[in-house]
Amino acid sequence: MADVDVKVEITGSVWKIVTKPGDKVEEDDEIMILESMKMEIPVLAPEAGTVKEILVKENDSVVEDQTVAIIEN
Amino acid sequence: MSFDDKIKEHEARRAKAMAMGGEEKLAKRRNAGVLSARDRVKYLLDAGSFRESGLFGTSYIKEMREQTPADGKVCGFGELEGRPLGVVAYDFTVKGSSSSYTNNRKMVHIKDMGAKRGFPVVFLSESTGVRMPDVMGEGMGLTNEGNRFLRGRESPWVSALMGYAFGSAAWHACSSDFNVMRKGSVMAVASPRMVSRALKREVTGEELGGWQVHADHSGFADAVAESDEETLDIVKRFLGYMPSHQNEPPPVRPVPAGSDDDSGKILDLLPESLARVYDVRKVIKAFVDKDSFFEIKARYARSLTTALVRIGGHVVGIVANNPQFKGGVMDADGCCKATSFIVLCDSYNIPLVFLQDQPGFLIGPEAEKHGVIGKVINWMNALLQVTMPRISIILRKSYGRGFINMGAGGIAEEVAAWWSADVSFMDPRSAVTIVHGVEEEDDPERFNTLVEEMRARGGSAYDLASLYGVKEVIDPRETRAYLIDMLKYHRSRLTNGVGQHLLSRWPTSYV
Repeated sequence: MADVDVKVEITGSVWKIVTKPGDKVEEDDEIMILESMKMEIPVLAPEAGTVKEILVKENDSVVEDQTVAIIEN
Repeated sequence: MSFDDKIKEHEARRAKAMAMGGEEKLAKRRNAGVLSARDRVKYLLDAGSFRESGLFGTSYIKEMREQTPADGKVCGFGELEGRPLGVVAYDFTVKGSSSSYTNNRKMVHIKDMGAKRGFPVVFLSESTGVRMPDVMGEGMGLTNEGNRFLRGRESPWVSALMGYAFGSAAWHACSSDFNVMRKGSVMAVASPRMVSRALKREVTGEELGGWQVHADHSGFADAVAESDEETLDIVKRFLGYMPSHQNEPPPVRPVPAGSDDDSGKILDLLPESLARVYDVRKVIKAFVDKDSFFEIKARYARSLTTALVRIGGHVVGIVANNPQFKGGVMDADGCCKATSFIVLCDSYNIPLVFLQDQPGFLIGPEAEKHGVIGKVINWMNALLQVTMPRISIILRKSYGRGFINMGAGGIAEEVAAWWSADVSFMDPRSAVTIVHGVEEEDDPERFNTLVEEMRARGGSAYDLASLYGVKEVIDPRETRAYLIDMLKYHRSRLTNGVGQHLLSRWPTSYV
């Protein structure tokens, strides 16, 4: 089993976290939703696996390439 | 020597050349699920159509002739779906398919004939690079580079990387119009071993130039495959969208049954709120010919989708903002992706359709460090030299200069808007903050009033249509019918569907 970093592609703030540790996800499933450029932009699972850790909380500011969650696959 | 002896000698020599690097090496490949160079050629071409060129070529060094059947490159001509093709298949079992004097001459011949006679050239590649030590010292005197990598796009080049690709294989991948990379392949300037020695740390092939490096970051992998067979299937599919050469239009195919069935689903895929995102690829699939969607650089710069499709049987290139990723914002990589796709389509007589839903170009220090301004203008330079038909449709929001790069503002011959279009210099919500200095969280009531005032300045589809800034306002469900009509009226009849190819010498590795 390997840890996979879930990174954000764009600077913004965490609007809603829609998964929790232990949740199973498929590739491209939504992990959380950012608010950026007046839009709700999903952060997607880069690979299928189980959510191991969520590293941010709602309303946190995040920057491009920041790791916001870890998936175990 | 009698004729019988001559025949026997011919057969023996042919059998030796066909045996490649020997059964032991071939068995190893078979056990690893990897095809040999000759198996790849066989899989690619119509059965029995391969006409080899240079079967009896060997190393120019006499003592090496016995160990270099076909000199490590299987070259020739053949047919794919009845259309002619040139093939260069690197045989890794012979000296790692390293580049040498003879096999380079064979490869040059196929490339030259592809350009001169008008057929695509396919490179089935894996190579260790230049043959060592042949070219050490005076061997460099045999170099005859000429115009080896000067592309005029007379006919398409396709590269399929299936293994290690250093030197020649890598250069041809990056000078091709389309490059597929099988997972497990490595493409780099120098091998991991050489790089590890230079950097004094272990560098793996995957880290140096694996499929993720080139599919996700460099953009040099236009597609990725799991196996040799899938790699070759993707090559075949790509060539199905291409003309044999630049002086003919791409092949027209019958329209599959059911292609009109999904247009009505577009409204289910499109969120009513501009704040909500969606995957534009699902929208495209709903209005193009059934199963004709063929995405290029799917993993690279994902906020912009580029795909070859068919509409009414005709090949069309789609450039679409994809709000699903980064909200559809256009960054430096996205600009490069759009530019290289525009060059591909215009060079091979493929009309372009732009689908707009974008918040603008990416701003900020990082974007500037990546040279986004220059990439925006390169895109414009390419777009302005297109001579094939250009059609732009504004789906939802389109703000700032991106509106023009995506074909509106007097560039495309036809511009239409869905009734959901919202066009302005910038998002009205951002404009309120900049013009009036009001943040939503500080004074929501005033903020919303000012946003409505800003919207009242007029950026709807009908506002644009009143100035003929868009020529038609359409229901999203009418997109297929609109495009079938427009592509029909804009077909380049005066030149039999062929453009002027003003971009045909644009660099191929511009990503």
